[in-house]
Amino acid sequence: MATNVFDMCPASWKQVISEVRTWARLNSIWAVHFNSGSCNGCDIETLATLTPRYDVERFGIKLQGSPRHADVLLVTGPVTRQARERLVRTYEQMPEPKFVISIGSCSISGGVFEGCYNVGGSVDEVVPVDVYIPGCPPRPEAIINGIIQLLTHVKEGTRPVAKRPEQTAEVASSQQERVVA
Amino acid sequence: MNTEQVLKQAENLLGTWNKETSHPDPTRLDAVVDTNDLHASVQAVHEAGWGYLTAITGSDLGLVDGRMEILYHFCSGPAVLTLRVRQSRDVQVVVPSIADVIPPASFFERELQEMLGIHVEGLNNSDRLFISDDWPEGVYPMRADFTLEQAAPVSVSHAAPLPEEGVVSGNTFVVPIGPQHPALKEPGHFEFTVDGEIVTAARMRLGYAHRGIEKAAEKRNWNQNLYLFERVCGICSHTHAMAYSMGVEKLAQVEVPLRAQAIRELVAGLERVHSHLLWLGVAAHEAGFDTLFMYSWRDRETVMNLLEQITGNRVNYSANVLGGVKCEIGPEQSRSVKEGLTYLEGRIRHYLDVVTTDVMFLNRTRGIGTISFDEAVRFGLLGPTARASGLVRDVRVEAPYGAYLRYPVSAVTETNGDLEARFVVRLKELLVSCFTMRTIVDNLPEGPLSVRVPRKIPVGETISRMEAPRGELFYYIRSSGGETPARIHVRTPSLCNWVSVLEKAVGRQLADVPMLIAGMDPCFSCNDRMVTVSRSGGSQTWSWEQLRQHGIEYYKR
Ligand code: SF4
Repeated sequence: MATNVFDMCPASWKQVISEVRTWARLNSIWAVHFNSGSCNGCDIETLATLTPRYDVERFGIKLQGSPRHADVLLVTGPVTRQARERLVRTYEQMPEPKFVISIGSCSISGGVFEGCYNVGGSVDEVVPVDVYIPGCPPRPEAIINGIIQLLTHVKEGTRPVAKRPEQTAEVASSQQERVVA
Repeated sequence: MNTEQVLKQAENLLGTWNKETSHPDPTRLDAVVDTNDLHASVQAVHEAGWGYLTAITGSDLGLVDGRMEILYHFCSGPAVLTLRVRQSRDVQVVVPSIADVIPPASFFERELQEMLGIHVEGLNNSDRLFISDDWPEGVYPMRADFTLEQAAPVSVSHAAPLPEEGVVSGNTFVVPIGPQHPALKEPGHFEFTVDGEIVTAARMRLGYAHRGIEKAAEKRNWNQNLYLFERVCGICSHTHAMAYSMGVEKLAQVEVPLRAQAIRELVAGLERVHSHLLWLGVAAHEAGFDTLFMYSWRDRETVMNLLEQITGNRVNYSANVLGGVKCEIGPEQSRSVKEGLTYLEGRIRHYLDVVTTDVMFLNRTRGIGTISFDEAVRFGLLGPTARASGLVRDVRVEAPYGAYLRYPVSAVTETNGDLEARFVVRLKELLVSCFTMRTIVDNLPEGPLSVRVPRKIPVGETISRMEAPRGELFYYIRSSGGETPARIHVRTPSLCNWVSVLEKAVGRQLADVPMLIAGMDPCFSCNDRMVTVSRSGGSQTWSWEQLRQHGIEYYKR
């Protein structure tokens, strides 16, 4: 519905509308947190990022209860078998454009839990990831850095090219193609 | 009565059921009983009021030995009684349920069923415990012959509704909470059946954070496991690492230097402060008191700074090594610890004032979720949740270990047993911890920080109990003389405290539920085991696939 109205607009309007959107988006990133079986270390550091010392709310970032209201999915943990399907569904419920930040070594590669029988391996095998924040757990400063990287890309209207050490150029380029809607 | 007499008493209680007695160490009594006598002996011990059931460990002794062992651990002060049942692993292992005598045992028994395929007779609950929904039938991860290939997921339809989705059936309405929910910082799932605003039934399912650490530990060497167990839980990581290393040191018969013991206790104290302040914030947040949340997390950063200064990391600090610690407390560190503690003590007193005088807050806590002393005993509660009901369950006091012998702490108890009491107990406990930490810093014994622990640990088994911020943490460690452990079993305090939420939610308003959950300070990562949810069908006009597709399309824009 809204799409049609937008499509009918003249090009100059579209330009203005897009700019307004980007501006709004940049200043009000709402995040939803999903724990896919982490040890809690990353979760408490994520929470610490939101509280007075580090206070990412000054960038307009807010933790949101429902995935339906969120722009960014913060995933921690190595994706246990029981959490896998729930993670997919949480992701699907988020409105576009949506971004995923994978926090902590174990969400990137399984980390210390690699090879455990109930652990899938990594978040990017389940949902596409935009920013990786390594560390066990990453410091709040690192988390802020990851968020800022994401914001920079939102500003430019591109997807961040997420890099994992072992990631092939192919995957990276396919990720770049997914331009922000 | 001293420990010896207490153990003698247990031996008398067991009488002729006891087929083989041994004393692995002076505080332990190990009794082999027949499967047929198990129920009677448990009943005798329980009815005589001898301690409490702390854990049930099941272990597969392997193909060569050909047996399975089920150990029932009871604790009374420092004394530990272990009832040992052995059966051949080649046929279906069957043990009687003791949940009719000791209700909380059902949690442990369901773990036996799930992990080892032991049939527990009389436990009429064969639902999934903490293994995922797509786990194949008849495969048990803790068996010696388990391989990863056996556990290939059975296919689950991506389109099917998940068991957690809410249902309306007949006149009851079920409110599903979790696994992703604003009131939960960790994944768990609760189902509250409500009649209007009043909860009429409560169930929960955990297992979202179950990773399979106990099995993984059998593949890693003693040293690697230290870092693995530290990551059972990022909040009480030091306690886990400490319980593990103290167990291993006991097996290796290594004496940890006094200085190292003192530093361990100091870090454990700081961890308790960080954990309780974190909890205070989250609990206040559940009550809608976000100002308190922000303030307590701001003050918590003081502790985080201290931890970082001492150990080099904010979370998962790895202060322990096998045989000691790796961080030194120099004059600079002790100065900052003392400064930090002075500031924190002031703040904690202030919070104590807030939670006992703020009228709005008291409306959410006073007289809510009250657990009487008797109930606390019956539910088998541990830690601050038990102490708020006047039940002294504190390993630091009951069975002092390590440096707690030299720097004792006193148990803090309250008698009201409601949510307010749980706030008060935790905060007062912090003041005690602060005092002890100050004493430690002022009186640090001189000496080395660690001693060498051999790569191979001698054959044997041991029990290591420790007071984590949430209650008694229990480790059972068995070595077969190699570079890797033969079996490690962890029982975390949250597991024992769940009953308090499920029992107390019934009859209360739904709005009190988040507070009740927060009141016991649950740690999902720690305990991940569960009580399962059953799903009753509800009518839907749209098929699930349609609804889901609609949702995806709708939000595409
Ligand atoms: S990365 Fe480390 S701290 Fe973070 S959840 Fe995983 S194990 Fe815990």
